[in-house]
Amino acid sequence: MRGKHSLFYHILIFVIAQLVWLLLLGIWIYWYVSNYIVFEKVGEEVSPQLVYDVQNALPFILGLILLIGLSFTTSLIFRHLNVQLRITELYDNFIGNVTHELKSPLSSIQLYLETLKQRDVPQEKRKEFIDMMMKDADRLQSLINSILEISAQEKKKLLQDYRVHKAEVVVRELIEESCEKFRVEKENYRIISDAACEIVASKDALKVVFDNLVDNAVKYSTKQAKIVVSLICNSKKVTIIFSDLGIGVAAKEQKKIFNKFYRIYNKEIPNVKGTGLGLYRVKEIIKAHDGKITVLSEGEGKGTTFKLELPAYSAMSKRQLKKFLQTENLRGV
Amino acid sequence: MAEDYKGSRILLVEDEETLAVGLEYNLTEEGYLVEWAKNGREAIDFFKSGRFDLIILDIMLPYVNGFEIAEMVRKSDPQIPILMLTAKTESSDKVKGLEKGADDYLTKPFHLQELLLRVNGMLKRKSWYKSSSEKQPVFKFGDNEINFETLNCRHGEEEIRLTPQEAMLLKYLVERNGKIVSRKELLENVWHLNPDIETRTVDIFIVRLRKYFESDPSNPVYFKSIRGAGYMFEEKQ
Repeated sequence: MRGKHSLFYHILIFVIAQLVWLLLLGIWIYWYVSNYIVFEKVGEEVSPQLVYDVQNALPFILGLILLIGLSFTTSLIFRHLNVQLRITELYDNFIGNVTHELKSPLSSIQLYLETLKQRDVPQEKRKEFIDMMMKDADRLQSLINSILEISAQEKKKLLQDYRVHKAEVVVRELIEESCEKFRVEKENYRIISDAACEIVASKDALKVVFDNLVDNAVKYSTKQAKIVVSLICNSKKVTIIFSDLGIGVAAKEQKKIFNKFYRIYNKEIPNVKGTGLGLYRVKEIIKAHDGKITVLSEGEGKGTTFKLELPAYSAMSKRQLKKFLQTENLRGV
Repeated sequence: MAEDYKGSRILLVEDEETLAVGLEYNLTEEGYLVEWAKNGREAIDFFKSGRFDLIILDIMLPYVNGFEIAEMVRKSDPQIPILMLTAKTESSDKVKGLEKGADDYLTKPFHLQELLLRVNGMLKRKSWYKSSSEKQPVFKFGDNEINFETLNCRHGEEEIRLTPQEAMLLKYLVERNGKIVSRKELLENVWHLNPDIETRTVDIFIVRLRKYFESDPSNPVYFKSIRGAGYMFEEKQ
């Protein structure tokens, strides 16, 4: 609501500013034309042989350039202001989401601690409560990590440990781990792989990628999440196709979902919790691996497919090998 | 603590499993019978299929949010007390929650003791109100008519339905016709709350009563503010 009003005021200010410039331009032309006539008359009377044309046209043209320049600058300022406004709005949403995400596990931990302090809790319940607290502590930790790891330094730390992996082995292992973490039953996910190929990747970073994709598949499904992961290799690249049968992504939102703080809203599933950082981190990690991520969805309600492309180890250039493995020798790893 | 209200049925609507398990344990220990709904849809199903004495309601819920649930509950049951328990702390959320029919609002993280006191207070008020309204179910002032049993009211031609908390406040003020009642007193006796916590809550409810029953809410005739002292309901016979 506040965003809409601010935008309205900015447009209003912009329109008024343009009108003021036009008015100034009009006054300028009027002043110039009327004075030119006076000067010409006076000049003719005083000294008929004087020629003004060139000298008088110069300030006129300069004045015009100045006014047009100012008008152009106003447009630029307006544009930047709008971008700023959108960022502020996204940031506000982010703060709101993060606050909510932090408070929920915190209040649960507080509740258990107060319960243990005030009541005589039987041994087996005590154990259950401690497990619950640990679960909440894990949640807090992963949330704090996801906020902190945005900073370049943290990203660097995460992306330090590049190694050559068998693509199928690492993808299978990470998907299984993520599915277990987000409680996707074994019968609800499938991993299809047709060939053996190798990739250079940081396993910790890839874990963040698959955790996010699986978590999204679970959060954005109206029923039990169903996931299919296919691995396709060719001589140049390894393609991982991650599909779910969730609510899908509308065409106009497909580009935006990788933006920082951006979150989709679907009336089928309102109030999905999150920070708007997950897919942004996924994109950054894949980019750091010299890869590419795209999203495909036939629209709302038709599932979502993420296509992750990573360079195959065998096709890596010397520059890439040096960057990831600090070596230029293919066999030396 | 919950001596008189043991056996009261509470519907707990909370999607955070860890929090819900802890709440369910504590409420059960207090002697209440608790049903736990994990999301908005389940909450509506539970509400339709059973009779409850109180609802503890989160706002950010999957499928149907807490505001919508409160609104729906109020349409079919004007008397059941609703306590909103949420991580949303902005005052606009609080006002919205109270407008949609919640009677009380507690923000996360909260203290267990405070939550239990509020639950007990709400059940106590419900029972006080029930016995008190049986004595004088209908009250008239000016062109207003209030039925404290059904919570249906009339302001001129206009029909209004009060929330239980509004009705309790109104009843308390009406019973003290012509006397000044402080915010502190209202919080202690109508909300059963520590007056240091929330004084704005009273103001929000008074504004709503004025909106319902005053012809010109900005110049109130019945619900008067007494500067530095509190509020006074005055009806000249």
